[in-house]
Amino acid sequence: MKTAFYDAATNIDLDSVRAWKEKGGKVVGYTCSFLPTEVFYAADILPIRLRGVGADSMEIGDAYYGPFACTFPKAVLQLAGSEKYRFLDGVVISNGCDSMRRLDECWRKMSEDISDTLPSFFHYFDVPHKPEGYAVIWYMDQVKKLMDSVEKHFGRSISDENLKTAIRKQNQVRKSLWELERLRAFDPAKISGTEAFASIVASTVMPRDTYAELLLQCIDTVNQKKDNPLGGRKRIFLGGSVCDAVELVALIEKAGAVVVGENVCFGPRNENDLVDEDANPIEALTRTYLSGSACPRMFGWYKARLHTITERIKALKVDGVILQNIRFCDMHGTENGLLERDLEKIGIPSIRIEREYGPLTETGRLKMRVNAFVEQLESKSNHHEAMP
Amino acid sequence: MRPELLEYNLDWLFAATFNIAKKTENATEKELARLLQFAPYDSGLLTPLLGLGKPAITFIDLFGEYYSNIVNAKRDGKKVVMTTFCFDPSIFYAVNNLVPVTLEIGTALTSMLWKRGSYDFMDFCTEVGFSETGCSSQRGAMGAYLAGAGAKIDLVALNMGGVCDTNANAYSFAAQYLNVPYYGLDYPSQLTTEEVRRYHYKDYRELIQFIETHTGCKFDIDRLRELLEEKKIQDALLDEIEEMQRLVPNPVPGLYHILIYASRYIYSGRKKYTKMLREMVEIIRKNAAEGRSGLNSGVEKCRAFLIYIDNYSLNVGMWDWFDQNGIAHMGNILSRTFSEKAPYTTGIPGTTYEINTRDFESMIDSLADINARMPMTRTIRGPYDAPNMWLEDTLSLAGIYNADCCIYNGTPGCRNTWSNVKLITRDLEKYGYPTHLVYADSFDGRVESWDTTVMRLDEFFRIRGLL
Repeated sequence: MKTAFYDAATNIDLDSVRAWKEKGGKVVGYTCSFLPTEVFYAADILPIRLRGVGADSMEIGDAYYGPFACTFPKAVLQLAGSEKYRFLDGVVISNGCDSMRRLDECWRKMSEDISDTLPSFFHYFDVPHKPEGYAVIWYMDQVKKLMDSVEKHFGRSISDENLKTAIRKQNQVRKSLWELERLRAFDPAKISGTEAFASIVASTVMPRDTYAELLLQCIDTVNQKKDNPLGGRKRIFLGGSVCDAVELVALIEKAGAVVVGENVCFGPRNENDLVDEDANPIEALTRTYLSGSACPRMFGWYKARLHTITERIKALKVDGVILQNIRFCDMHGTENGLLERDLEKIGIPSIRIEREYGPLTETGRLKMRVNAFVEQLESKSNHHEAMP
Repeated sequence: MRPELLEYNLDWLFAATFNIAKKTENATEKELARLLQFAPYDSGLLTPLLGLGKPAITFIDLFGEYYSNIVNAKRDGKKVVMTTFCFDPSIFYAVNNLVPVTLEIGTALTSMLWKRGSYDFMDFCTEVGFSETGCSSQRGAMGAYLAGAGAKIDLVALNMGGVCDTNANAYSFAAQYLNVPYYGLDYPSQLTTEEVRRYHYKDYRELIQFIETHTGCKFDIDRLRELLEEKKIQDALLDEIEEMQRLVPNPVPGLYHILIYASRYIYSGRKKYTKMLREMVEIIRKNAAEGRSGLNSGVEKCRAFLIYIDNYSLNVGMWDWFDQNGIAHMGNILSRTFSEKAPYTTGIPGTTYEINTRDFESMIDSLADINARMPMTRTIRGPYDAPNMWLEDTLSLAGIYNADCCIYNGTPGCRNTWSNVKLITRDLEKYGYPTHLVYADSFDGRVESWDTTVMRLDEFFRIRGLL
């Protein structure tokens, strides 16, 4: 199980996706967690989160993007240009941020230079920057347009019933993921952050039914474990910009800590992330995906995000928070500054780390900073213990 | 931050500079030279500005008044709203107790007037948590207001979400840091559809509510009508300037562009702005009638279209260099209005705005349309190669102005344009426009010194055979 999830989290070319394709299944890549993946499952299409994992150079990304842009979309473009995403039947680009929405043009223009790199289904999903009011109607319209587009292109019909089934099954996955969060909330945590995070990232790239089964097995195995080597470790929460770097979590854990939760654009953000199974499915999807103002792209909703993160930090009994962002991610870079200030104010030690996306090219620097932070946390508790 | 910077209020410094500069209107050259001895860095902006004659004096007066209003806001019982450049401020002037402060204007001014620009303020933002890669255009003046070296901000309202997330993010940070209310208009990636227009209208009405809630004032309908009627006159004058700019040689002095857009961003709908535009039109008409170039030398060798913004990192060095080399500045993305009668937009449905002052609702709709069609909220909101977006705008503008080349100049903080500028550059070259990409920061000379930028510009113009 660990291998299957770890493999899924750290590779693009997956056995499970290949098996899906061999059965004649279609696969569509998407860029942002604001996309309701249920729409694709309802059309019997496998949605996978686009990532840049495995990009070992940036010559294609850099040829289309300027130098002052985030390395995450650049790495995705690099893989697309290197034909690593050739198995995709479609792509949906969202306006997660300025750099990410420009992946639309960069990919299209790249395909004029490198043939056969643009899937025939190439859709732009326009997410509002507000989570309520007329933005809800806008988002619902976008979902309908996406559905129309999928139906026309792939010749599939997306009925309410199919959508409701997809919602129900996806809710099961969400519940299991939240169960995983509960296992991490134990002190000591019942599962390492590296294993848990790999499982979370895998949820965005593996066929749902296969994944759901493996996840239940994983939870069962963890529950049955008798010994626990994670006791006495400092408990870390990882926050910030999009991050699928299992190796970053591993690096933190190698410093003697355990990562017990994340808020990094992958995985559940709270227990209420479930989609209403009884309501009109489009409305229900909209309410869940758009509400919660989960990302700093929802300008002016910082306090709501701070509240959610703080509640999770308390529930997970966190000793310290590592706030990372990919360089040029201004939104998370800035929000991390506010979070550091506000978390420190309530006594939660925090550190900000800026990094590049991709293989940990700066491992030495990151390792040194993480080690120092964990040491600081340890010495702080030693100091408290030593106090009369 | 150097502690002495906190000794002076930024708005007061600007107000004092412009109010004193205004008094030089009737000064002799000798008197002026003597005065500038005491303000050596200011001379880099004021000397070329004063050389422009009447419109520049009105510009200085307008800026003096604008900053004096900010300085005196609290004394006058007014609230201060922090806003952005691509937001039409006339709405703020339609309530009787609100004064806007536009960050990008302040940042550009410090770069043009001060030896160290707004470096300390930029760095202060970083010290208090703002991302160092965030756009310098906000980061400069914002630092002063965050540090308490400027007016006390009461609310934040702007319009760049969805167009420039970096911009909206900066204001969102400022609101959070200062713990004041925030409202941001949101823009979908499309522009011309009816559903987008409806979205804009609803969003703008929320803004109206926000302003009323936080100022405790109702909008004065007559005042709003007066502002919009004045704006119609301003648009007509701007259209005439744009039209005359098509002449060869271009009769419009390059520095007029910065006067035009900087004043529009703070004084849209105000009579002083109209006065300045009228004075400009008079001079340009005269130049045109005499077949005279707006360049000081009077000899136009080349016409350059700036596809994004100008460079303010060292005084008005960019305009000076253009002037010395006989390069006519054909404006940039900020110079344009997209009123329905603008020479480059007529006939393209849905891309322009019309000002309708029939009743309050029509005026609010008009303002929503205007704000959605400010230079950036219109041109760089969607894919650069979509209809009526950056590429088409650039090609049509470069075409009607007979531009010989295009130049991109911006800030490394501009995630939006730096994510597709290589694409548009390549396209412009394909369409026959030699295009130069400037890697400097328009507001921060530490990224690339102006001397280096000049060296590269010089190389571009010579190697491409433009001079």
